[in-house]
Amino acid sequence: MAARETNPNFMNGVPELLILRLLEQEEMYGYEIVQAIRSRTDAVIAVGEGVVYPVLHGLEREGALTSRRKTVNNRSRIYYSVTPAGSHRLADLSEAWTNLAAAIQKMLTGGQHDEAIQ
Amino acid sequence: MTKPFNELRERLLRAGVAPRHVRRYLTELADHLADLRAEEERAGRSRADAESAALTRLGGMDDLAKAMTEQRQFQSWSVRAPWATFGLAPLLLLAAAWFVALFILWFGWKMFLPGSDTPFAPAGDGFANVYFQIDRAFFFGVPILIGWGIGLIAVRQRFKAVWPIAGLVLIALIGGTAQVQASRAAVSGGIGHISMDFALGTSVDGPFYGPFRVMVILTLTVLPYLIWRLQQAHSRSQML
Repeated sequence: MAARETNPNFMNGVPELLILRLLEQEEMYGYEIVQAIRSRTDAVIAVGEGVVYPVLHGLEREGALTSRRKTVNNRSRIYYSVTPAGSHRLADLSEAWTNLAAAIQKMLTGGQHDEAIQ
Repeated sequence: MTKPFNELRERLLRAGVAPRHVRRYLTELADHLADLRAEEERAGRSRADAESAALTRLGGMDDLAKAMTEQRQFQSWSVRAPWATFGLAPLLLLAAAWFVALFILWFGWKMFLPGSDTPFAPAGDGFANVYFQIDRAFFFGVPILIGWGIGLIAVRQRFKAVWPIAGLVLIALIGGTAQVQASRAAVSGGIGHISMDFALGTSVDGPFYGPFRVMVILTLTVLPYLIWRLQQAHSRSQML
């Protein structure tokens, strides 16, 4: 699927959610994170790749992520991983987005209308 | 560092993002750009095309800047509370440094001039004299050192001149009017008493001694600050 611009207002909280989900599985550096998001969302979610860093730094400041410098193939990189606080945050965000997605899906398929007329 | 990052750095610093956050952001962006360029080159693009495609994928200047500036947590303390950075903190630092200087004076008085009613008496040519001269230089030099610190912070963070100049004037006024008194009137050979007050002139040095010191401190702090600003503006115009 071709990459397309995503409405920033609807993206509120999405980058955090995706990043925490990815980093819960393994530690990664910025470039890897962006490529993983691109491939796992079939490039539906596509933003300027550089804007991932303020999100990472913000999550780190809030204690949801921790970082360490690691040299791989003679290149020094900053790897990020999720902290216990980040896992809690991921659980909260996942629940909120699951509920929101279900509500929107219900709306789109007419569920709310059906309920309203019952 | 590439030209777009120089421009981005200037925009972030001018927007009040703390230098350490800017440095880290640009370092990671540069690494990311190198990875993207390598990926594009592996895909068969020429170096110039790969560079251009990598920059496009990295994001536009506005997006990269906005992602950082819209998060208040990355703002420097000098932007959040300039009154504290350029007013309160230098004053506290000056007070602490003077406390140390006066303690050194009192200690030297006790050690080298136990029979003297004042620590300002001639202490001879030896170590005691060097000791008191260094302490004196420290006491009078501290406001200038703090002024240089204010100037460096302001230049580093691309601050407008109002707050730094206000801070420099405040430090010069306090630094230039400070006076030290010492007495051992109560008990001869006793512990002695050292105090400070602030006045423009003294009966010993005349009425213009204070204003003269204020002007010296102001000149020695404002001048380097203005030179640093000019140098910075010059190097910025060459980089962009």
